[in-house]
Amino acid sequence: MTTKRLSIQRYLPEQSKTPFWQEFEVPFDDSTSILEALNHIKEDMDGSLSYRWSCRMAICGSCGVMVNGEPKLGCKSFLREYPGTISIEPLAHFPVQKDLIIDMEIFLEHLAAVQPYLINDSQDSNQTHKQTPAQLAKYLTFSDCINCGLCYSACPQFGLNPEFLGPAALTLAHRYNLDSRDQGKAQRMVQLNREEGVWTCTFVGYCSEVCPKSVDPAAAVNQGKVESAKDLLINLFKR
Amino acid sequence: MMEKRVKRSDEPIWWALFSAGGVCFAVFVPAAILFIALLIPLGLLPAETLDFERSRGLLFSFPGLIFIGVVICLPLFHAMHRIRHGLHDLKLGRDKTNKVIAYGAAIVFSLLALLGFVLGIM
Ligand code: SF4
Ligand code: FES
Repeated sequence: MTTKRLSIQRYLPEQSKTPFWQEFEVPFDDSTSILEALNHIKEDMDGSLSYRWSCRMAICGSCGVMVNGEPKLGCKSFLREYPGTISIEPLAHFPVQKDLIIDMEIFLEHLAAVQPYLINDSQDSNQTHKQTPAQLAKYLTFSDCINCGLCYSACPQFGLNPEFLGPAALTLAHRYNLDSRDQGKAQRMVQLNREEGVWTCTFVGYCSEVCPKSVDPAAAVNQGKVESAKDLLINLFKR
Repeated sequence: MMEKRVKRSDEPIWWALFSAGGVCFAVFVPAAILFIALLIPLGLLPAETLDFERSRGLLFSFPGLIFIGVVICLPLFHAMHRIRHGLHDLKLGRDKTNKVIAYGAAIVFSLLALLGFVLGIM
């Protein structure tokens, strides 16, 4: 069986303050994913290696790592795609807890800040809310996010300022704002209108390139800019 | 309660000027360069196309005012917006200061262009 060399960035804070690189030679075939290679290392070579995973089918969003410097899902990237040694690092722009495990706290805070759920206080809100296919189509692609955080690792503005709400949170806000059943737009606009809301984005677009679910967060954020600009105008005339 | 403290960004104003300037950069500026800097100097259009009397007549008229807006003022705001954000990305200077200098320059030069226009029609 052919093998491939994986160079993995390790960080064991109880042993040393500095991260180090460790190389492993792993057997692989055409169907071996990065995640399976990590599992192989953990089971047969070095049980101390730590990383997150669950579904192994691009659904749970927990196996994000940097593969040769690009944010990728370990279970959706395959060894066959990479000639030469493959470098694996924890996702960029996040604090590292151990090996490939990052601290996602700030990401989760940003998600919570945009109130990513249906807000509807109308009388009939305990009734089933009907929606036409056309109304569904407005936000459908933006609802495919699996909260993997790859777009935050891709975003240079989040790298410069982690207070930036970031691609996934802003996309989620936009997704609910576009939902015909929702009435929470006014509350969410307060967050979008902030400097750290949509306006930190400079339309780099790399978030949409790395997104494993083709959510196109860059489009959502920039549609959010149009909404925020409209919101400012409306507010000027209201006074 | 938290919403009270949240400050609205003034970025929509600069972004709107930036977007408008971007359209001008894509449409009007290349057209201006084509005529003024290429077709006429290369002799592909007769030199009289923009001789002194004609260009003065064209510039100091309502279409001339529009020309100044779409070829000078809005592109200035577009370019300065890019420079300001470029400086931020390179971590150069403080954004607040860069903002004042960049948009300040765009405003000053736009006003200069408009002043030239006003002097011209007087
Ligand atoms: S938008 Fe895409 S890259 Fe970003 S968290 Fe969601 S699924 Fe991941
Ligand atoms: S293991 Fe669930 S997305 Fe990769």
